[in-house]
Amino acid sequence: MAENAEILEALREHLAQKLKELDGVIGLRRAVEGTAPYLFHLGDDLSQLALEPRYPLGPIVSLLQKRYPQARFGVVARGCDLRALVEMAKRNQVDPQRLYVFGVACTGEEAEECHCSDPFPHLEKWPQGTTFGQPAPAGSPHPLLAEYHKIPLEERRAFWQKQFAKCIKCYGCRNICPECFCESCALEDPLWVEPGILAPPFPAFHLIRAMHMATRCVLCRQCELTCPAHIPLTVLYELIRQDVKEMLGYEPGADLEAAPPLSLTLADAAIRE
Amino acid sequence: MEYRNVLTVCPYCGAGCGLYIQVLDGEIVGVLPAKEHPVSRGKLCIKGWNATAFVNHPDRLKKPLIREGGSFREASWDEALSLVAEKLIQIRDTYGPQAIGFLTSAKCTNEENYLLQKLARSFFKTNNVDHCARL
Amino acid sequence: MAGEFEPKIIAFLCNWCSYAGADNAGIARLESPPNVLPIRVMCSGRVSPEMVLRAFKAGADGVLVLGCHIGDCHYISGNHRTAKRIPLLRKLLAYFGINPERLRLDWVSSAESTKFAKVTKEFVETIRALGPIEREIKG
Repeated sequence: MAENAEILEALREHLAQKLKELDGVIGLRRAVEGTAPYLFHLGDDLSQLALEPRYPLGPIVSLLQKRYPQARFGVVARGCDLRALVEMAKRNQVDPQRLYVFGVACTGEEAEECHCSDPFPHLEKWPQGTTFGQPAPAGSPHPLLAEYHKIPLEERRAFWQKQFAKCIKCYGCRNICPECFCESCALEDPLWVEPGILAPPFPAFHLIRAMHMATRCVLCRQCELTCPAHIPLTVLYELIRQDVKEMLGYEPGADLEAAPPLSLTLADAAIRE
Repeated sequence: MEYRNVLTVCPYCGAGCGLYIQVLDGEIVGVLPAKEHPVSRGKLCIKGWNATAFVNHPDRLKKPLIREGGSFREASWDEALSLVAEKLIQIRDTYGPQAIGFLTSAKCTNEENYLLQKLARSFFKTNNVDHCARL
Repeated sequence: MAGEFEPKIIAFLCNWCSYAGADNAGIARLESPPNVLPIRVMCSGRVSPEMVLRAFKAGADGVLVLGCHIGDCHYISGNHRTAKRIPLLRKLLAYFGINPERLRLDWVSSAESTKFAKVTKEFVETIRALGPIEREIKG
């Protein structure tokens, strides 16, 4: 893609400069066998830096920052990566003070493919970073989302039951999610999700996950991409995001300084039902 | 401060899903699905997600162990294999070939699995051969 | 009436206010429906979405969460969390096709034994009209 090539050029130059002061930059490296996340160091061949396929880089930042508490890293982040980093920072998983963000704009086609409403990393409140590229127009919404509101209550269960009957409980959605970092996960607790049955009994697994994702999901869509059963998970999470916005006035990933409302008192974060 | 992803194939079944092992300073820290792999296309089943769990597991055997008097002691490969051969032949001669079953593994190569079934069928004269991926 | 559906309600009652309120309702011999199974928790904020869902799966046709009034929580702000969590959970239940009216949040203090009796009576009738949970969970 022509736009991506220009962005890549400028990005590589800036990275080469910044690597002189940073301990490393997390980005995608294109090797002969495939493209995967990598920690670039000064002197590495930056022509190998790539922008796709999209892997969630937030958890890798968190891992490296925890292993090296004094190090200063950089990360190549799209809009969704930055939103994930913002929400992780609010929960002490990522330290913004030690992270330089190389923000990268998504192209119009990429926004369309991801049905993304905000394909651009907004660095206004992030302590240090630069963006490359211009914001593209938002992608059109997920086709199922508009359909969903027309489905009456009695049929909604049937819709999700049919979808979740495909679930093989691989935990892929949870494993790949940047916001899932709990050391003991409720989904693995036999008290809440009955073990030994496939598909997991409706609706425990998915309802609990959706509820835990309220005020955390940044719509990076990695869960849906990783689901081997092609379950349209983001339709559900997008619905909850809309509710969280209407009822709590909160948008995950939008503002580094807005505290997550569910743990605040009503005085600090009221609810509108 | 080295972080990289090593492309490999899941050892657990015949599908052969591609996955990346996340390696931080030479230590395994996690797994990522390989999004460009033509078979798995960025998806993994639960075994794939936990494919690296056995590598550093405390229960992982590093030496042959022989049970004696209720506990295990370390032995050499020669001693262990001789003991196994002797006992299996004894069981076959006493109880017949159907008394023995052979379990192979997806973590072995096709050639190793071929050898084991050949041993089971040609030498021990039993068809009792199965594979961990079927369990 | 023979054959009329008797709803099974699970009520999570907070130790300091609503459970005491329920107790007082009993002491005052106020008539409360027998359909309600009380479960005492230390604070309504302890009630997690997993617990509510498990109650439904176990066969509860309705789940009632009763806590202290806002400002009276023994743990200061525990009920603030409940106040936000339960409405969100109701929305989520609706997306899954479970009628959100099956989950109700209310505030009952230890002195409000009449309110306890009233709320439980009302809730039982609401659930009676909605029918058994099996339709919505198993179908």
